Amino acid sequence: MKLNNRTFILLTTLVSMLFGYSTMFAAEGEATLDKVMKFMLVVTIVMIAFVLWLIIVYSEKEDSEGKTFKAPLIALRKYLTYSTPIEKEQEILLSHNYDGIRELDNRIPPWFKMLFYGTIIWAAIYMLAYHVLDDGQVQSKEYKVEIEKAKLERDFLIRTGAFINEETVVFVNDPAELSEGKEIYFKNCATCHGQNGGGLVGPNLTDDYWIHGGGIKNIFKVIKYGVPAKGMISWETQLDPKKMQAAASYILTMHGTNPPNGKAAEGEKWIEPDDNKISSTKGS
Amino acid sequence: MNVDKFSYDNQVVKLFTIATVVWGIVGMLVGLIIAIQLYLPELNFGIPYLTFGRIRPLHTNAVIFAFVGNLIFAGIYYSLQRLCKARMWNDSLSQFHFWGWQTIIVLATITLPMGFTTSKEYAELEWPIDILIALVWLAFGANMLGTIIKRREKHMYVAIWFYIATFVTVTVLHVVNSLEIPAGLMKSYPIYAGVQDALVQWWYGHNAVAFFLTTPFLGLMYYFLPKAANRPVYSYRLSILHFWALIFLYIWAGPHHLLYSALPDWAQSLGTVFSIMLIAPSWGGMLNGLLTLRGAWDRVRDNPILKFMVVAVTAYGMATFEGPMLSLKNVNAIAHFTDWIIAHVHVGALGWNGMLSFGVLYWMVPKMWNTELYSKKMANAHFWIATLGIVFYAIPMYWSGIAQSLMWKQFTPLGILQYPNFLETTLQIIPFHIIRSFGGLLFLSGMFLMGHNLLKTVKQGKFVKNEDAEAPPLIKEDDKMKRGMIHRWLEKRPVQFSLLATVAILIGGVVEFIPTFVVKSNIPTIASVKPYTPLELQGRDIYIREGCNTCHSQLVRPFRSETERYGEYSKAGEYVYDHPFLWGSKRTGPDLHREGGKYSNLWHYLHFEDPLQMSPGSIMPPYPWLLTHTLDTSSTATKINALRSIGVPYEEGYEKFANQDLEKQANQIADDLINNGIPADWDKEVIALIAYIQRLGTDIKGNQAK
Repeated sequence: MKLNNRTFILLTTLVSMLFGYSTMFAAEGEATLDKVMKFMLVVTIVMIAFVLWLIIVYSEKEDSEGKTFKAPLIALRKYLTYSTPIEKEQEILLSHNYDGIRELDNRIPPWFKMLFYGTIIWAAIYMLAYHVLDDGQVQSKEYKVEIEKAKLERDFLIRTGAFINEETVVFVNDPAELSEGKEIYFKNCATCHGQNGGGLVGPNLTDDYWIHGGGIKNIFKVIKYGVPAKGMISWETQLDPKKMQAAASYILTMHGTNPPNGKAAEGEKWIEPDDNKISSTKGS
Repeated sequence: MNVDKFSYDNQVVKLFTIATVVWGIVGMLVGLIIAIQLYLPELNFGIPYLTFGRIRPLHTNAVIFAFVGNLIFAGIYYSLQRLCKARMWNDSLSQFHFWGWQTIIVLATITLPMGFTTSKEYAELEWPIDILIALVWLAFGANMLGTIIKRREKHMYVAIWFYIATFVTVTVLHVVNSLEIPAGLMKSYPIYAGVQDALVQWWYGHNAVAFFLTTPFLGLMYYFLPKAANRPVYSYRLSILHFWALIFLYIWAGPHHLLYSALPDWAQSLGTVFSIMLIAPSWGGMLNGLLTLRGAWDRVRDNPILKFMVVAVTAYGMATFEGPMLSLKNVNAIAHFTDWIIAHVHVGALGWNGMLSFGVLYWMVPKMWNTELYSKKMANAHFWIATLGIVFYAIPMYWSGIAQSLMWKQFTPLGILQYPNFLETTLQIIPFHIIRSFGGLLFLSGMFLMGHNLLKTVKQGKFVKNEDAEAPPLIKEDDKMKRGMIHRWLEKRPVQFSLLATVAILIGGVVEFIPTFVVKSNIPTIASVKPYTPLELQGRDIYIREGCNTCHSQLVRPFRSETERYGEYSKAGEYVYDHPFLWGSKRTGPDLHREGGKYSNLWHYLHFEDPLQMSPGSIMPPYPWLLTHTLDTSSTATKINALRSIGVPYEEGYEKFANQDLEKQANQIADDLINNGIPADWDKEVIALIAYIQRLGTDIKGNQAK
């Protein structure tokens, strides 16, 4: 079978276009489902086109023994591998002989060349797309887009009240939420403030004295933003505000428990203002 | 026609063969130990020398340079003599090469556990050993080129092309990456800093894989596979195409280890596109290997050697497809820093290097001892154990890598990290790590089986120290370069060939390095970034000594999931005084680039004493010796001087006062600890390490340039 140059170029272009299309999302951090779907769509279309091509090329041949069915595949395989059969191997055996090792001179498989040239074209498109036609600030741009999107979502959540902040936080008395708060406390807080809130590395949370102010709002604030200078880390990026609310509420329930080996009081005595007494419940 | 009578030197091949098996067992055993340490940290027995951070480099160095390295030399010395129809050029050089190389390995096994390390992956050995490596490597090169030049075969076979490329490239890689300024007998700082150091290191690291684990093995494959299959090589012209394409393109691809890092975008993109272009040239090697077996597949069924080789070549094909895929930024965003990379590496290392090595050993040993393999059955058993070992190794690691990465990136509907506690993701993948170590155990058992089989083979045979051979001498002929025969012409000229190969491998490095080093805009400076204080510097060197960078990265990537977890993403300008860079390549623990100021000094103190105190379930080993060892401040002046000489702006004469500053800063930290109820001394190592950690990433806090 003679190598058909036009078909060769056609297929090479096809391969590189396929690669080229994938470039569009190849450089992006998190491929969205939408993009994956688009890509799958293109792959499907290409495959359908390929089957149609096979039908058009080979449908006219008459064959009652079912050879037609296999012929296109064999032809394609031959076209793609372009290899000399073993029986005719003597014709392409080179005179080389290295310690008994002989060498054949099979032609380089066309599919291999297509792959090679295809990737080179793809590489050129990639560099052009990001660094010549665009300004080359690939990752900082991607990052900005990701952050802006997240900010819009966050703003929406705050507006609808789903996202609690230090202004809207309230003490919750619900046993289920308090037990969640307890769980969070044990997992994240107890290493520094003690299992029973008596204080270890961090201060005692059960007494009347608070370094940064007591009450649900102040406690929520300290949890959220932390006090980096003193080693209290910020939990803003790690805990859902609902969880911080639950933890802060649980901490308030430990008030006055006076655990054994409690740390000495630090800070100022806290007097709860009337308008947000502990007794106020969620949603009130 | 007169015929030269000569002999092949089998002695040096024998020595390298023994070394291969012995170091292979040692290297893999260390690998098994560190694999188990990831779920049983107690396995370091509380001894500093056996901690993960120190012996993980020992494992990589041992398997790469001791196991694979010795096998390469055994295979090259065996095949080169026969392909050149000549004895090795100089027997004394061969001996020097062997004993020199073993000395390097012994020095590595001593110095790495002692904590003498440059921290640069696969180039951890300190400067005196670097010099020794250069000498021994040059001896090997001289011996090889000498043999090629006085060959009796007119042309150089494709295997020799790969050997030459290996030699010239590894020379360049080793020299450029090891340019460092000594600060004491076993301490040095690379002359490059930060981003530049990272670029040089991964140019080296990537091409160590390319030119130490790939090209010499392709050369070995081109000799041993057609030999074992008794079939002609499939395509000579494919050999030419894929050889030149491979060595030219490979060099460029290093930056794919630094995607989404502080490396300039254009360099990252080059890393990506050149990796993609590498698919075909790499597959050229696989094709030529597998298609050489055309018509011999029936023999594969009952010949264990061929079986090993088929799996090796297939694994090579898989790894060289996966590699380019991992270089796509969207795939890399998931895979980088996770176990996926460990899986990928081991498909290459166990599959390609391991299996081909076994095939070569099973082929060479009976030949040199003039006998048959003692037990084919045992070799077959080895094959299945090793294959199973790879499966049990790789599959859980893929799962583990993807699972952990997705957990890192998962947000709740409210837009908060779902798994804010890094440890949660670590604990999730422990079952996978247990299965992985079982896979490793299988592979190691295979090594023992092979050792036994080869030993029995040796016992039943008789070693042929000098194998007699004869060939007509090479007659010098001065032929012109002819159209269509250029490569054939080149194959007769080893010197020109080597020069051309050198040019081919230099281009990529030069194009990527020079702009990064010269063009200022590639690394925008940040005014608030200052050199480390003497105490922080000492702490940083402890960080390096303990190998913290093997498990902790210092590179926050520009993803929301990372900036939420760690803080502002890392900027190139922040690293300008980092000799060496410590970005790391694997996050077994969390990133530390924004660790400064996150926790109190006390937290760190207790955490170093025993991590379980602060994070229950942690797999980080305790470092109690940091609390008791006194910091060696006698080295401060030398270190300051060394760093100043490579561009860190310490004032002239500062070295005289550096220790006063050091003491002052250390006392502040000690006082803080004492205030919190810990009777700490200012002069302990842990104080310096805390100082360094508290400094990390704080330079740009407050003026977060975007």
